[in-house]
Amino acid sequence: MGSPRAPTILSLSDDVTVFRDDAEDAVRIVSGMLRRGEGGEAFRERRRAITWNATEAGLLAPAIVEERGTAVRVSRGKESLLVAGDGDGPATLHDVVREASRRAGGSPFFKTRAAPGPRADRGPSGPDEEARATQLASALARALPDPRGLSLTLAISRVSTSRAVVTARAFVPCGEATRLEASGLIRRPGASRMFAFQSSAAFPAACEGLARALAEATRPVPTHRAPEGTVDVVLSPEAASVFWHEAVGHPLEADGGERTSVLTRVARASVAPPGYFVTCDPTRRELPGSYLADDEGTPARPVPLLEDGRVAGVLTDQRTAGADSNGHGRCGDFRRPPRPRLSALVVAAGRATRDELLDACGTGLYVREISAGHTDAESGRFSLFVESADLLRRGRLGAPVAPFLLTSDVLTALRHLHGEPGEVSAPASGLGLCVKRGEPLPVGGASPAILLRGLAAVPGRA
Amino acid sequence: MTAADDGLFEDVLAAVSEPAREGEGGEVYERRGTSLELTEDDRGFHASVSTERGFAVRLFRSGRTSFAASGPSGARTLAGEARLLLARARTRRGARPSPAPPGGAPVPAAPPARADEIAARGLLVAFRRALASASDGAALLAETSLLLGARTERVATTAGRDASFGSSTATLVATVAARTGVGRTSARVVAAAARPEELALARLAHHAVDRVLLPLRGRPLEPGRWGLLLDPFVASPVVARLAPAFFDEDEDGLLAARTRGGRDAFASPALTLVDGSSAPGGPVLTTHDGEGTPQGRTVVLDRGRLAARLTDVAAAQRLGTSPTGNALRRAFSEPPAIGITNFFVDPSSGVPPLDLLRALAKGFYAAVLISRPEVDLAADRFRLHVAGYWVEKGRATDAVSETLLSGRLSDFLRSVAAVGDDLKFIPAAGGGAGSPTLFVPKWKG
Repeated sequence: MGSPRAPTILSLSDDVTVFRDDAEDAVRIVSGMLRRGEGGEAFRERRRAITWNATEAGLLAPAIVEERGTAVRVSRGKESLLVAGDGDGPATLHDVVREASRRAGGSPFFKTRAAPGPRADRGPSGPDEEARATQLASALARALPDPRGLSLTLAISRVSTSRAVVTARAFVPCGEATRLEASGLIRRPGASRMFAFQSSAAFPAACEGLARALAEATRPVPTHRAPEGTVDVVLSPEAASVFWHEAVGHPLEADGGERTSVLTRVARASVAPPGYFVTCDPTRRELPGSYLADDEGTPARPVPLLEDGRVAGVLTDQRTAGADSNGHGRCGDFRRPPRPRLSALVVAAGRATRDELLDACGTGLYVREISAGHTDAESGRFSLFVESADLLRRGRLGAPVAPFLLTSDVLTALRHLHGEPGEVSAPASGLGLCVKRGEPLPVGGASPAILLRGLAAVPGRA
Repeated sequence: MTAADDGLFEDVLAAVSEPAREGEGGEVYERRGTSLELTEDDRGFHASVSTERGFAVRLFRSGRTSFAASGPSGARTLAGEARLLLARARTRRGARPSPAPPGGAPVPAAPPARADEIAARGLLVAFRRALASASDGAALLAETSLLLGARTERVATTAGRDASFGSSTATLVATVAARTGVGRTSARVVAAAARPEELALARLAHHAVDRVLLPLRGRPLEPGRWGLLLDPFVASPVVARLAPAFFDEDEDGLLAARTRGGRDAFASPALTLVDGSSAPGGPVLTTHDGEGTPQGRTVVLDRGRLAARLTDVAAAQRLGTSPTGNALRRAFSEPPAIGITNFFVDPSSGVPPLDLLRALAKGFYAAVLISRPEVDLAADRFRLHVAGYWVEKGRATDAVSETLLSGRLSDFLRSVAAVGDDLKFIPAAGGGAGSPTLFVPKWKG
């Protein structure tokens, strides 16, 4: 599929600077690799992370890691091949294209040129990193003014990634992103809990957010058992983001086939009350999981998933939708092929205040934090692991309760949503990495508070 | 000049060995690997071929450590990066480079194995057939993925250790679905082995069929008091959750408290827990850990009593023992951390599982886990959401769609009366966890 046209450098954003040096050459090489009837692209990734192991005593051993990689993918009919190697320069691109062509039975027409030596542009690791470490240490100190009785095992990382896709016609920068991640275990005598945090905000603001989340997470675990059985719950904006991610986002990822998900089987049906608008929007730069173009080079665009309570769309990549991909082909790293994955689910705000939602709920639970979730898209069953919640009696907040599990099925939960969502759609800082098929990806979300009726509560963390 | 003899490793080691300050030690790690992954679903067939080469440097000074890692292009700057970080590190007791093993000599690195794509496709076809045969077509294969990996590793320290070693893995992951008039369900099942020919495909197919059909075809089991058999696929995740008790510093005090400093038994005499890097059927088959320490077999629980802890060099230093070779590197870009290789219930005193079934006059055979098991050592509780079969006089009389097994973990571990000889492994926590069938004569479900 060699193209006679001049290569195009797509300028989706001027602040994306990496991989541009050999962009035109790279496009020619990819164009030369593909034969008639074949599709494909090259993918380049650079990832740099500085990680601090944190305990209740402060920051311990630091680690710095940089990984660079290139992969090419060749598709013909129902078969596709991905070849990946270390390095993100012209030499690696030559190597992986040559290997892919050999395995696919073709012969790429490019002349081997002397590859330029690796550039020593590993970025600032001196005073800048030291200043960040100081900011982080002081955020930890603020979060844990009295760490007695606490045991923390956290990995806190500042991760920067740059990705670009080279197609047969264009060089497409996917974007550069930096985020602060934290994950690990918090222990108190007789109790332990997982902790996850992620923020794409500027470093000082992200540290501030981490300090707040950590202070909240290290509060003593309540011993009061959550009620067992059917409950009505008001989900805080942060907890609601996890619900939408599990109940709407995953079931509308197209990789399972048309009839294999509880929501794709009822396309265009009304599944939630009118007034609910859920969009997967990777263009929201302030949310983790955003990008300019997906990992196949398709420009990012918002995709409505629920419109006025109706199923409105499915998240697709090139394998599931061909040229009609709506830009949600994402991969965990350059060694993995892209698959349809959600990025940031944004839910439109309604008009209900939090107090109105609590009043409408009456007796139930107010859920502040959900630490993890799981969905079986085929059956529609989902589970949400609630870390922090308060009892609700006659619309008033009561005692905090011990961690518990909320389960239901997607269609029942959506049908029993309260008619009016909360009035503020707030970004969720607690959403961590979404792991599907063992591949972690950063995701974000913004949602108003919502009221859900008739979920099943099971005390404990099962 | 090939990647194997380009002298990059020696250059990095030389940079690490430059004594910046007295008392500083260092370690250089290199990993080279290849992997082939084949994925088949209703949209077609996908193959991924990947090569990897990565370097990592750890520096040690007065109990401080720092870590830096990169691919070959940034390898020469790693020592400088790590030195910069070392100045900001805080102390950790026992942190130091691995000493030279007695009589240790560098072993030539084995070339990365080249997986045979045709044979791998044959395994996918074999699993599809096994599933169709096990379910009579009632279970559908939504996606199958086979990953074959091979790698060689080299670790050298400024203290004189230099070890090279290789390993391989094979992992089959299948997403299976079932659709009946009662409902729909899907599940992801995984088998892992050190070599592709060791993958138990027929066994995995039967497990996958039970996992998706039992919840749809059985009836819920009312709580009661009966005998209990746990299938290896149910028992192994529980064993995996026990593993941190034998290496995690925070769990150490907990274990000591539970057993009054080791005077009481932790589990029944039927249970012996072992970590071994070359256990038959285990997904891990290696000779050295991520610090270059030779690995062997460590009995951590001997007939129910605490026997040893799994350690890396630093933990062994703190405990005043020899390292057990349990420093694991999940990736070249991650510092080594203590973990398991093949962690399993020793089946050497076990009996055939059919004998255990015959011993079950009236009870429940837990065949599959329906959700993530909850095993909380701190709270001494466990809860398993399982499906299986009701058994009377050693015969399965009814399918059970779901039931909850829960209670005190210590009571459960002390109630195991016998184990089978059918040790099976699941991939867990960077290694493998395994168990044979477990028999509990009376349990209040």
